[in-house]
Amino acid sequence: MASLVRSWIPLLVLQSFLFAIAFGSTQVEEFSEALLLKPLPDRKVLAHFHFENRAPPSNSHGRHHHLFPKAISQLVQKFRVKEMELSFTQGRWNHEHWGGFDPLSSMNAKPVGVELWAVFDVPQSQVDTSWKNLTHALSGLFCASINFLESSTSYAAPTWGFGTNSDKLRYGSLPREAVCTENLTPWLKLLPCRDKDGISALMNRPSVYRGFYHSQRLHLSTVESGQEGLGSGIVLEQSLTVVLQPDTTSIETNIQPSWSLSSLFGRKVVGRCVLANSSHVYLQLEGRLGQESKNVDTEIEAHKLWKNADFELSFKPDRVLRESSSFLFIFDIDNASDSEPFDLGLTWKVPSKWSCQQAPLHASRFLMGSGNERGAIAILLKATESQESSPVRELTDGRCTIKANVFQIFPWYIKVYYHTLQIFVDQQLKTDSEVLKKINVSPSTDKVSSGMLEIMLELPCEVKSAAISIEYDKGFLHIDEYPPDANQGFDIPSALISFPNHHASLDFQEELSKSPLISSFKEKSLVRSYTEVLLVPLTTPDFSMPYNVITITCTIFALYFGSLLNVLRRRIGEEERFLKSQG
Amino acid sequence: MKILMLVMLLCYSFASSSGDTTIHTNNWAVLVCTSRFWFNYRHMANTLSLYRTVKRLGIPDERIILMLADDMACNARNEYPAQVFNNENHKLNLYGDNVEVDYRGYEVTVENFLRVLTGRHENAVPRSKRLLSDEGSHILLYMTGHGGDEFLKFQDAEELQSHDLADAVKQMKEKRRFKELMIMVDTCQAATLFNQLQSPGVLAIGSSLKGENSYSHHLDSDIGVSVVDRFTYYTLAFFERLNIYDNASLNSLFRSYDPKLLMSTAYYRTDLYQPHLVEVPVTNFFGSVMETIHTNSAYKAFSSKTSNSKINSEMPLNQLSEDDELQKANIPNDELKTEKQKCPYTQMRVDLQEKLEKLENVDTVVNLSIAVMFIVVMVSSSLL
Amino acid sequence: MAEEQKTKPCRFWIWALTSVFFRLILISFKGNLNLSSRPEVSTPLTSIRRLAEGYWLKQASMSPYAGSMYHGSPLLLSVLGPLTVQRIKGQPSHLLCSLVFVIADILSAMLLRGIGQKLQMAYGLNARLLGFLKSSRDKVILPCGDIAALVYLWNPFTIVSCVGLSTSPIENLAVILALYGAVTRRVPLAAFGLVMATHLSLYPATLAIPIIILLGYGLDAPPIKLFLQTRSVENEKSSTSTVSKQAKSKQTTRLPFLWKTVVHFLFWVLLWSLYVLVLCALSLNKYGGLEEMFKRTYGFILSIEDLSPNIGVFWYFFAEVFDFFRNFFLIVFHVNILFMLLPLAIRLKHRPCFLAFIYLAISSILKSYPSVGDSALYLSLWALFVNELVDMKFSFFLFCGYLGISLLSPVMHNLWIWRVSSTQIYNPTLHIIATKCSNDHNYFWIFHYRAQETQISTLETLLATRAFRSFLWLRA
Repeated sequence: MASLVRSWIPLLVLQSFLFAIAFGSTQVEEFSEALLLKPLPDRKVLAHFHFENRAPPSNSHGRHHHLFPKAISQLVQKFRVKEMELSFTQGRWNHEHWGGFDPLSSMNAKPVGVELWAVFDVPQSQVDTSWKNLTHALSGLFCASINFLESSTSYAAPTWGFGTNSDKLRYGSLPREAVCTENLTPWLKLLPCRDKDGISALMNRPSVYRGFYHSQRLHLSTVESGQEGLGSGIVLEQSLTVVLQPDTTSIETNIQPSWSLSSLFGRKVVGRCVLANSSHVYLQLEGRLGQESKNVDTEIEAHKLWKNADFELSFKPDRVLRESSSFLFIFDIDNASDSEPFDLGLTWKVPSKWSCQQAPLHASRFLMGSGNERGAIAILLKATESQESSPVRELTDGRCTIKANVFQIFPWYIKVYYHTLQIFVDQQLKTDSEVLKKINVSPSTDKVSSGMLEIMLELPCEVKSAAISIEYDKGFLHIDEYPPDANQGFDIPSALISFPNHHASLDFQEELSKSPLISSFKEKSLVRSYTEVLLVPLTTPDFSMPYNVITITCTIFALYFGSLLNVLRRRIGEEERFLKSQG
Repeated sequence: MKILMLVMLLCYSFASSSGDTTIHTNNWAVLVCTSRFWFNYRHMANTLSLYRTVKRLGIPDERIILMLADDMACNARNEYPAQVFNNENHKLNLYGDNVEVDYRGYEVTVENFLRVLTGRHENAVPRSKRLLSDEGSHILLYMTGHGGDEFLKFQDAEELQSHDLADAVKQMKEKRRFKELMIMVDTCQAATLFNQLQSPGVLAIGSSLKGENSYSHHLDSDIGVSVVDRFTYYTLAFFERLNIYDNASLNSLFRSYDPKLLMSTAYYRTDLYQPHLVEVPVTNFFGSVMETIHTNSAYKAFSSKTSNSKINSEMPLNQLSEDDELQKANIPNDELKTEKQKCPYTQMRVDLQEKLEKLENVDTVVNLSIAVMFIVVMVSSSLL
Repeated sequence: MAEEQKTKPCRFWIWALTSVFFRLILISFKGNLNLSSRPEVSTPLTSIRRLAEGYWLKQASMSPYAGSMYHGSPLLLSVLGPLTVQRIKGQPSHLLCSLVFVIADILSAMLLRGIGQKLQMAYGLNARLLGFLKSSRDKVILPCGDIAALVYLWNPFTIVSCVGLSTSPIENLAVILALYGAVTRRVPLAAFGLVMATHLSLYPATLAIPIIILLGYGLDAPPIKLFLQTRSVENEKSSTSTVSKQAKSKQTTRLPFLWKTVVHFLFWVLLWSLYVLVLCALSLNKYGGLEEMFKRTYGFILSIEDLSPNIGVFWYFFAEVFDFFRNFFLIVFHVNILFMLLPLAIRLKHRPCFLAFIYLAISSILKSYPSVGDSALYLSLWALFVNELVDMKFSFFLFCGYLGISLLSPVMHNLWIWRVSSTQIYNPTLHIIATKCSNDHNYFWIFHYRAQETQISTLETLLATRAFRSFLWLRA
């Protein structure tokens, strides 16, 4: 009897193993959370919350999730989304002080309001329908009016100017969308620990929304399993980037303000999310020159890194990594609890100055002209100091050049004259063929679709400034097409300037398989920057008198018609009278 | 013949009165703030106060439709970001951590409001934005903003009239979207908004009569605007004393309004509402307290009307898949059709098109033809 | 007399050349004096900037109609497009285009002169036939051709639309060409003018009726009944029998209608329109073909998609009309033009040139995108009938009305667009319409009540002016 049982057991084990292989359940869902803190040169602190959730490919259709949010997997399945990014942002990323050349700013410096782009895996004719349904589903999921992106006047289909080269890509932006707690609430509900435990418990709403810049971003991409029969895996990346100013009570204004998690958020980390694979807090310091050469291995030297004459951290880091001039202190919060909360703090002792590396050219956009009939849009690209020290130099035909892609969307009521596109390099007008390498124009159609402009410029490395200007006429809308606050004006969404030959990455030269945030920094990401949103006032008709206009115009018509008929008729009468008088 | 008529009448009366025998199954709340701009902060605070009350007394977010026409909490003028107060003492942050707004900003229009009430949405509209009530639902409809004689202003651009509202409620009744509906309106001349209501099962209360204004309660010097209206302030004062277990009746709520304090007459209308107000607990509308029936037997679905009264609220996701399949099926059909329809004329046209495409420098051809045209004109006009 | 007649042509040429020089001087100013940006001058149909945009799109291998910018003929694009791009060094941009418009103006003026000379001859002939009617006015017949040509050249509206780079001089040239061909009985020319005018802007299609009447019946003449009446009065003096009276009154009640010429004309119209359509199809082959062209040109004109301000009635009305009624009002507005075609044709079949003038006046009022170029055309055609309109009433009043509107309109426009106080722009538009209407009616009455100063005509004019004044009061 026992021998029978014993012989059955290996068979059972073998069976379960085979089952496991057959149904691919050997891969599990993974969730990791991270918080990156970074003091900024202009007395502010950047806090970047990063949550990554992976769902492995499996062939069961109604798969069971225990970590991955079902709402997202249903979204991906239903609309066949290959890649998608949705961001809610308020504030403007200050490129001069906060940098533009690192992976953090390339990925997280987003335009104001809501930005959504998605790549679909459906036939070309169905992409627009899928986009429409996706916008509605997202508006219900995130409590925002993303459904306004469904109409063809608000989205565009970029090609090469956007960075992602696909003809099933759709892009839309709503600059005027408000971002508040109601957008954060469902975003947090997608996390396994919600906002109850772990790093997400730090997110005190008033602190987050008091920031100079806050942007919550959701990026999802499908990972092909490569095997027949298995569906595709999904990687969901959620990040919240906040730039806060710590309360300064210090009299010395030269020294950077000291801060701690409790002073920034009013809360401390009291434990990690138990469902997370990895849960870390990182502190990144840039511009720590003169300390690269020091040996980190010895205990004293390592101690000096986080407690020295310049600054002091309140907790000892578990690891220290370095990459050229920036240091990364890693803190493990496994041991944090209610009795021993983790309240990381940084105290500055002496004034320090440093600068964050910027993108090769600083982009800004503004309107020219006055009045409500016409105007011009200008994009100014100015060389930054970091350009000279940039190690990346692209050689084309023996000359050093910087390539810049410009991508813009124009709403249909901004009627752009593409033939008035002018490019100035160092304040001299250049003919198109010299600087303009590629151009793709998709003109707008009145009330049907918006216009899109993608241009690729090739500028010499020594350029001081370059400007692109284009003229437009302002359109006139029907009375119903104005929003309730029509006198505020209308927005032209941000333009995207990207540098295809420049890629930003931070390689800390350490194998950290457990930290998705650091491994994402390692990947080369395209350097991009968004310009400002432009507010264009349009002429408004008189909203209070549609009836008056109709009746007055019709009265004039009646006068015209009546008197003309009268005159025609009178002739006969006169003639008859004349004839009678004669006869 | 007469017997037939009698029988039909009986059946009809059964059908119509059978609404009385439906069981109260769930509670819904539709909270609408129709005003935009910073100086209408108090309307937002009104709506959020009700939202907080209703949530606190048991209605979950899934069954609340919150429509806010503007963003006050994260408004640039708000000194307290992500916080909305309805009192000068700033004790209560109405916005909290878990607010979910369904219709926001420019979406709060008369059209969307009526669509929510009647349930007539486009296919793509998600479930969280729909009022998925059924015949056993009690619905609380709260509206605040600027109003007048028989109208309510939406975002300073359009208006909802009393007969629009009455028609929507009538449609809701026909479609059996509610068992009982309570309408609470806090605007100027609010009572006129439900003048045209005629559907049974509706209870309505407004903050002021025709010709009266509704006033705000107090001004918050810190925020700079009035933070709450009187009617809602006293409503809240009533509810803050309650918790989910209290049995306060609607009658006590309605009696608690003092015209001297409100500076207007809170008028309510009970002619369409059968139950006595003394017997109806407030949590019937403002909270969600369900009657639990303990039974030892195995679970059986309740045998009241199930089949013909349930509205077919198909999931938009499922519908989409059907449409997908239909679309996929249609494509090969079209291809077949086009092949069959090719006749020699189209063939000729296609050939001509191809030839023209091959022709380079179409512009020079056109220019030459225009020049030829002018020459012909001159020649012909001189000759003929 | 002979000397006077000799000096008159010299005077004409002097004035004509002066106007040409004046135009050339104005063109040489930089930026065309910002006239090309005024909505009275350039409309979505006639703006040269839009033409340049359409040309650029075509060069970039896209349909010229993409972007809802250009709404004109592809042939015009091929002719004027390259001129917008070419620049002569040291000269202001668009110089070549302006030269083309100046040439168009000169040609129009010459053709007007030719028409006027023919009309003058016909008038003289008729005057001699109706000898007794002209006894009181046995003066020199005014040279209406010269006057019309000079009015055309010196009309500030024409100068403004020429210098302001709108394509209306070319449209006007086509219309005048058609009339000239019809008046001088050059059938292919008339057909060509008509087809080109219709192709460039839809409304000159209505001129088919007066041109057919011109070719069929001949030039303007007083009504047949007048001839008959004069003859009957003469005969009355000579004979007394009633039978002969009736018999003679029945004679020659109708002029012969020259069917052959008309058929010839229709054949040429068909030929030219086929030619034009084939050319358009060829140039738009890759971009949607003729269907696209009709949708974007005629469809645009008829459906009024663009609501930018102009001196017409349509734009503000359609910016405020409720969507439900939009199609209804579109039909009403366009039918208003069509409605009057037949009654006017019946009334004025003995004066086809005047009929053409009235049609042009009506279409310039009720057009969907009018500009001052259209007004220029019909004001100069008015000058062709100077002989008949000698004693026009209220001419000073109307002249002041026109002057006032021309000055008021830019001011109101400025107020609205630049200082955001709305509704002011609609002000002058309404006034223009009212003035034009009263103007038309005035002309009409003069023709028929020349000898009789009836109270009715004064009453009608008073009504029109009262309406005019009431609008002034409403808007003030």
